[in-house]
Amino acid sequence: MFAIQPTSAEPIYRQIVEQLRRLIAGGQLVAGELLPSVRDVAGFHAINPMTVSRAYGMAETEGLLERLRGKGMAVAATTRSTATQAQRMALLEPQLQDLARHARELELPGDAVLRRLGRLLEE
Amino acid sequence: MNAVLRSITDHDAAPLAVHKLTHGYEDGLVLAGIDLTLLQGSVLGLIGRNGAGKSTLIRAMVGLLKPDSGEARLFGEPALKLSDSVKARLAYVPQQPEALAWLTAQQMFDYVGRFYPSWDASFAKTKLREWGILPNKVLGKLSPGERQRVDLIRALASQPSLLILDEPAAALDPVARRDLLREIALRAGEAGTTVLFSTHIVSDLERVASDIAFLHEGKLLQCAVDETKERFARLWLPASMTAAAPSNTLGKTRHADGSLSLVIERRADGSWPEAARLPGARVDALGLEDLFVEIAG
Repeated sequence: MFAIQPTSAEPIYRQIVEQLRRLIAGGQLVAGELLPSVRDVAGFHAINPMTVSRAYGMAETEGLLERLRGKGMAVAATTRSTATQAQRMALLEPQLQDLARHARELELPGDAVLRRLGRLLEE
Repeated sequence: MNAVLRSITDHDAAPLAVHKLTHGYEDGLVLAGIDLTLLQGSVLGLIGRNGAGKSTLIRAMVGLLKPDSGEARLFGEPALKLSDSVKARLAYVPQQPEALAWLTAQQMFDYVGRFYPSWDASFAKTKLREWGILPNKVLGKLSPGERQRVDLIRALASQPSLLILDEPAAALDPVARRDLLREIALRAGEAGTTVLFSTHIVSDLERVASDIAFLHEGKLLQCAVDETKERFARLWLPASMTAAAPSNTLGKTRHADGSLSLVIERRADGSWPEAARLPGARVDALGLEDLFVEIAG
């Protein structure tokens, strides 16, 4: 369920937390939904179970997940399935900054980039 | 009383501890004072260029090589004088296993299995099939890669507390390699197995390792994988700003257009050095492989 890039400069536990944030904010994961066990995630990706535990633990501290006794981790009931628009927008901020930087490096006019982005968003 | 005290210390002893280990060959010093401690359940990836001394260090750790000075201890015992009980908890796979060449894989497993209290015979049998080894072929007639695979299976089937692997990835195709990484990761995370493996393949290490150790010019730099990724970055400075570049940094490179790139490290409060806020400065994420190249290149 997660996309893991071991060679990324972003540590694996952060990749998992980041994806949980997005999936929950976007409503793909709804309150009460059970997450795959640490063992399943670690075994599937051949990554260290401690990395997965660390990510789940962080997400629990953030209030994204909650531990259900005897069942494992689930999406927290208090998490509204859709966060406010400002919260969801904040999750997109790093990608937007990257995009803006690449556009500047390529010396592309802003309106051309926005037109293309607009078309992609309509697809 | 002394015996009781000793057994408590032994119990608390780290699976692997290396202290001021030094070793040289005729052409110079390979290990120049190595210190290393592995805690239970940690997975350490040992990385270094060809000839950096990785195999020498590993051989000294398992007591196959007597270092010029310093020592390695396994579960509190000197590597050169291990008791049978510690030997039974240790599994070591060399790059080129050669022992027992006249036996078949199955005969070798039947033989060595008797020395290990928790030998997993069904695991050994399954893995032989999965990794494409004929159980009835004499070990001496297997290719070096097959030979190392048999030895990896032997090591895993003994269910060791401490697993030391010298370049295990070299003998495996991508599917079997992923399979081995999964075994390493799950055993460390669930059974608390302590693992040390040397490798050239940084992405293998990034998957499963909790710690990384760079062996370079006889010295060892040990750090946690996640923290290292978060602590370092590459800074690009335009030509006009290069005078303000921090000194004493890794990987400082001047480019044809006069700009400068260098590796920066977060300060104690988590912020980047001043130079990262100069006009035109750019901070780029730095993967472990890039960092390794900057250190060893």
